[in-house]
Order: sequence, then structure tokens, then C-alpha cells
Amino acid sequence: MKMKILTIAAVASLLSGIVMADYTGLPRTFLWNPGFNELVETSEYQKEGPYTIGFSNASQADLWLVTFFHGVQWAADKYRGQLARFLVTDANSDPTKQVSDIQDLLNQDIDLLLVNPATADALDPILRRTMRQGVPVVTVARRVESDESFVSFVTASDTALARMSATWLAETLNGQGRIVLLPGLAGASPAEFRLQAAKEVFAQFPGIEIVDTQYTSWSPANGKQIMSAIIQREGAETIDGVWADSGLQGSGSVEAFINAGVSSDSIPPHTGGDLNRMYKLAHEHGFPFCGIDYTPSIGIASVGLALNVLNGAAVPKRLDVNFQVVISEGHETESIKADELLADYVALDRPDDFIMGHGMGATYDPKTFSVDLPN
Amino acid sequence: MKWYSKMSRRIGNSLRRLHLDPSLLVVFVLLVIVLIAGFALSDRFGTVRNLMNVLEQSAALGFVSLGQSLVVLVGGIDLSVGAVVTASAVLMAAVVDSNPELMIPIIIVVLAFGTLIGYLNGYLTLKTGVHPLIVTIGTASVLNGLVLLYTLQPTGGVPFWFEEFAYGRIGPLPIAGVIMLICFAAVWYLLKYTTLGRSIYAVGGDEEAARLTGINSKRTSLFAYSACGFFVALAGAYYVSRTGVGDPRLGEPITLASITPVIVGGLLLGGGKGNVLGTLLGVFLISLLNNLLNYMNISTFIQWVVQGLIILFAVSIYASKVKKL
Repeated sequence: MKMKILTIAAVASLLSGIVMADYTGLPRTFLWNPGFNELVETSEYQKEGPYTIGFSNASQADLWLVTFFHGVQWAADKYRGQLARFLVTDANSDPTKQVSDIQDLLNQDIDLLLVNPATADALDPILRRTMRQGVPVVTVARRVESDESFVSFVTASDTALARMSATWLAETLNGQGRIVLLPGLAGASPAEFRLQAAKEVFAQFPGIEIVDTQYTSWSPANGKQIMSAIIQREGAETIDGVWADSGLQGSGSVEAFINAGVSSDSIPPHTGGDLNRMYKLAHEHGFPFCGIDYTPSIGIASVGLALNVLNGAAVPKRLDVNFQVVISEGHETESIKADELLADYVALDRPDDFIMGHGMGATYDPKTFSVDLPN
Repeated sequence: MKWYSKMSRRIGNSLRRLHLDPSLLVVFVLLVIVLIAGFALSDRFGTVRNLMNVLEQSAALGFVSLGQSLVVLVGGIDLSVGAVVTASAVLMAAVVDSNPELMIPIIIVVLAFGTLIGYLNGYLTLKTGVHPLIVTIGTASVLNGLVLLYTLQPTGGVPFWFEEFAYGRIGPLPIAGVIMLICFAAVWYLLKYTTLGRSIYAVGGDEEAARLTGINSKRTSLFAYSACGFFVALAGAYYVSRTGVGDPRLGEPITLASITPVIVGGLLLGGGKGNVLGTLLGVFLISLLNNLLNYMNISTFIQWVVQGLIILFAVSIYASKVKKL
């Protein structure tokens, strides 16, 4: 068992090291997991390269997903020496199309299927059948229901992200105050997991009152519109904090306060990472802020792990990629400390719509990104 | 366009000799083009394995488009098909999840549910005189709201054996694809050889004239809407079989998708003219096109562009040929 854990640690460290900048230790979810992680033997999938990998993408519907998609392509380009073909399909958020996409990929004799499932449940039957055909499956960002449907799942923990940001907000308010929750897309498993985890935390603080919970579809425009309506109904001065699971909608919430005439020093504490605009707003206006990116670099890690599977190396059943905890100066709390301070992390020279934690180096620009993959 | 006119005349004559509707010409030509391109561009495209996969994948679009065709033929349109697919799927998965022994009864219940919603759409359209586009959007909104009130996330489950509906094979033939072809054959026969079928064309062509000739136009329209609901619910069942859950957002893309094969297949959106074989060819065209573009590793966004261009091309051809047909 000890050997297995050490191997998992080595694999996790190797893969997370690819994409991390500041917190370079093992993922906290690995360190603090009270149980044991399963190690999967992959010798049955070992093949001579070069390999044909099929990547079934769920969607490119928002900025995060676009950056994630670029990360997968970037990694495929990085490892192109090991790849004969890298085939890509995109389901446009439609799980039924994704099932067909996967069938089309299988028909092209892929050695491994890498998949970002459009929903956590709907892909289970086709992935189970894929595994039974002897084609290993690596899922990324969302896992599917049954363990037999995939070899390994690559993620950054939604629950850890939400627990840490919610704890930061509750402790910043000294356990007292009226807050608004702005989760992402209703029904999407990352949004629901984060919301559930955040509520678990707030339930520990009886003095915290949740004024309203509104889904935002991870849209800055929706975040602004929804928060504007809440401000109009409740009054800006009565809202003590905003928990957003991402800066995509969190930035819209901050703008709603600014539009309502709230001065910089009266904007309530906010959470939400990912979007550079959010970091810029927090830096410019100086309100208490905690940003944790659901790092799109999980896409990069997933390609590395997929190649490990085909090389016959043991891989963890679940690989958590590190995230950074970014906190504005002077606003660390008893439980939540900064990996990096806001002033050091914000990318003032990059555009507002830049997604942080991409892992593709300083020269990455989503507007000009392009790779020519073998297919 | 001279080359096209010449070719279309030749193929049209050939189709007439085969007693087939010339309105199938455009979709037939497009289908041939896609097939030729597929054979030329990929050595895996033309394999039996792939073509059977496409037949399997086209089942849901086929069921829904077949229902849509019947409604369009009586001069209507049904924009609630996506919502009915979703509601049927969620109903089936939610009920069966805790009671697997109810799998067979729930199939009947779900098909009856779809038929009832279709009937309601027809009834409200006839009763209120409001355009079916508005009525069915209203129905869709109610159903979507109820489903999302019940669940925001995929829910429920079905026994493993029910997956055979979506993934099972009889020899090389996919079960779902075969059922879809049987449904199309049955509706084609009904439209071509029965009084009810001729009534559907008559009501869609000129409802008042049909009424004056003794056709019960209301009953005919109600039949078309109800049958549409039945086929749409069948698509919902197929999706549950394919994904194993009832997804509350499942049907969103299928509403507009179901109209594409109808238009490309040569059915007149005003009603009274067209052939469900055209819809079937339209379903194959869209499914093969998506398959081919996947094989070519082409972006989904380009797939949308190509689909849109095909619709525009087909509509422009039909518009110029309406008087000749």
C-alpha cells in the first residue's frame, strides 16, 4: 500500500508540476484526503507508439472551455512525437451528439479515448462499452457515474475550491452577515458540486444568512443583471458578501455594485477566480477578494496521463491538479492563506477576457492560438 | 446553373420512371454528393460498420423528423418536440429508476404521454385558431418549466437490457435504425395508400376545400399532431436507452434539427405537399454529413455552417421549382 501511495504521489507530482507556477507541492486534495487513492495498473493497454488518440470535447461555449480546449491541443502538440493522429470532435454541449462523436472516433481505430463529458451521467453507457471494447478511457473535468467506465479521471477539485472560497468569505465576515450565492450553470455538475460544498460551509456559520441564490450560467452579463436586480430589491448596503464559484459571473456582480454607485471601499467581499477581469476589478477597487481558479490546465495534464496509460505506467484513478489560492493583500483568514497575493497574480498587461491558470506559458494568447495536429 | 438543370431533369425523369416523387431530387443529389465525398476522403467512411453506426445514430432525428413531417403536411409546425423528448425521457428514467420492473409499462405510458401532448397541441391550435408555432412554443415552455422544477440535473436510470434498444444489433443491423425504417415505411404506406393519408395531404393543401369535400379536417389534423407526439416520445425513449438517464436539457437541440430534414427533404412548409421518403433521405443526409465532418476532424462550427448552407441551397432550389412541381 505504501508503495502504491508513493507511486500515486510521484505521478500526481509529475503531472501537476507541468502546469503549476507557485504552489508547487502535491495537490491539497491528495494530501488531505482521509481515504486512499486507487492506483490503476494499465499494462493491459500498453502499446507501441506512435498512438492514435481521440478527444471528444463537450463544448467551447465559454471562455474557460475555450482555454481548456487550447490546453489539450497545446499538450498534444507538445507530445506530437508520440502521436500518429490526434482526432478531435466537439459536441456543442449536447450529450447525445457526444455519444455519436465517440462512436465515430471508435470507428477510426483509436488507441485511447480522452473525453470531457458534456454531462456527468449521460456518457456512462457508451464509455462502459468503449472500455469493454478494450479502448481505455480517460475523462477530464467531469467524471461519469460508474468506475468501470474509465481508467482515470483528471480534475481540479470542485468541492475543495468551493469549500475554501466559502470558508474564506464566512471568516472574512467573522461569521455574521447577509450574502448572495452566484453559482454557475444550473444542472451542470461542477456548478452543483460547488454550490453544495459552499452551502455545507455556510451551514457551519449560523450568523450567515443567504439572501438569495441565483444561477448565472457562468456569464458576466448574467452576473451583472442578476446582481443589479438583487441590489435594487435588497439595497446594496444590506449585502455583506458575494460568493461566486467563478469570476466569470463574479466580475458581473462587482460591476453591478459599481453601476449602483457603490464606492470602491464599500464593495462587499467577493469570491471567484478564472477570469482576469475579476482579478483586475479586485486589484483596482481594493475590496476583500479570494480567487481560486478551476484551472483549465487539467486539459494539459489529461494528455500526459493518457500517454502514461498507453505506455503501461500505473496511473491514479483520480488525478487532482493543483490550484492557486489568490487573496487580496491583508485579507487572509484563519483557515485560508494565500498561495499568491492578488497584486502578484493579476495579469494587468493581459486582456480582461484572459482565463488564468491556463498552464501554456507566458506567450499564450487565446486570440492567436493555433496548432496543426496530426489527423 | 445549366449543368444543374440538365442533371436535375435527368435524375427527375429517372425518379419518375421509378414512380418516385421528383421533389426528392435535391436531397437525393446532396446525399450522393456526401457519399461520394465520404468515399473519396476516408477509407473508413464507407465501411459497413460505419454506415450501420450512422443508421443507429440517425434514429432519434428520424423519429422526431417523421413526426414533424406529419404536422407540416397538415399545414402546421411543432416547436414543442424538444420539450416532449425531454419530458418523456425524464418521466421514463425517473419512474423506472426505483422500479425496474415497470420498464415495459412505462414505455407504453411514455408513448401515450407523447401522443396526448401532441393531441393537446392539435386541439389548442384548432380550438383557438392561434398559429401552431405560438401554441407549441407555449406547450414547450410549460413542459420545460415542469421538468426543470422536478430536476436540474440528469436523473433516474434504466435497466442495462434497455440499452439494447439504442446499441443492440440484429446481425449487422442496429435495432433502433431498423425500428426507425419500419416507422417511415408505415407512415409512407399510410400517406400513399389510405384515405387518411390522402386526407392529410388534402387538409394541408387547402383546409377549406378539404372540408367541403367531406373530409373531417379537424380529426385529420388531430391525428397528425397526436402521431407526431407518439414518434417524439419514441425518440425520448431512445435517448434514455442511449444515455441511461433522463436529462432535463436533452431535447434542446432537436427542435430545430427536426425541421432541417423536412425542409431539405422537399416538404412544403405550408403543408399539403411532400414525401416522407424525402424526410428520411434528409435524416440520412444530415447524419452522414455530421459523420463525414467528424472523420475529416472539422470543427463543429463549420458543421453548423455546412448544414445551414445545405438548408439555404435546398430552400432556394425548391422556391424556384415550386411552380414546376
